[in-house]
Amino acid sequence: MKCLYVLFDADCELCVRCRNWLAQQQAFVPLVFIAFQSDEAQRRFPGIDALKPGEQLLVISDEGAVYRGAHAWIMCLWALENYREHARRLAHPALLPLAKAVCELLSRNRFFLSDVVDAYQMFTRLSAGRTIAEPSGTLNAF
Amino acid sequence: MTPIVWTYIIYIALSIPLTIWVAHTLHKNGRIFLIDSFRGNERLADSVNHLLVVGFYLINIGYVALALKECIAPTDVREVLETISRKIGVVMLVLGAMHFFNILVFSKMRRRALLLAVPPPIPPQAHVSVATQ
Repeated sequence: MKCLYVLFDADCELCVRCRNWLAQQQAFVPLVFIAFQSDEAQRRFPGIDALKPGEQLLVISDEGAVYRGAHAWIMCLWALENYREHARRLAHPALLPLAKAVCELLSRNRFFLSDVVDAYQMFTRLSAGRTIAEPSGTLNAF
Repeated sequence: MTPIVWTYIIYIALSIPLTIWVAHTLHKNGRIFLIDSFRGNERLADSVNHLLVVGFYLINIGYVALALKECIAPTDVREVLETISRKIGVVMLVLGAMHFFNILVFSKMRRRALLLAVPPPIPPQAHVSVATQ
């Protein structure tokens, strides 16, 4: 296996954050990120829509092997140097149903979770702005 | 010769062979670890092993040389023995720490090599054709 193509949702903040995190990790197998909405996804994988990439994360190897949802996440972890052992653990029949349930729950609620992330970001930015603004306000009062 | 010179001579005579013995043990037994880490590439394993041992010698002999000087000169045999014992004790602790550090490096290399060979833990769910760019 030379590389793994990760088809993520570019409209989902949570997915973009996960993509950024994955891109920062050291990998045994290089991960190539492609937004499933992009022309490149259609060009590289003809008939990709039949696999419903909008529902769950899709990972496709350079040989054409397809992994969806929890399986896709396990493959992403398997590709990373520091998480390969975790991938083995998660793929165990005892943990796989739990991983599947968690991934389905996250995928179904990803837009809601993205809104929460956005709101939290806005809140931290606003509170940081207030902390910076406060000293100048104090100076103006004098 | 004064007692301090005897202390120095005994200290050197003990700590240098001790360093050589530890380095030899590391060189002999670390080789198997390294060959496994480099997937049977004996030449590369021997090269890395040799480089590690050179580093080990430089650090330890350097430390032994730096720690030679004793500010309070011993006056009798009892003090000579106490000083040598303290100095050799510290050298042994440094050697032990370096030895465990080397073992840690060997095992990390081996672990990484073993992980690299692990096949995907799950089978694919479907197959698609991938267009080459």
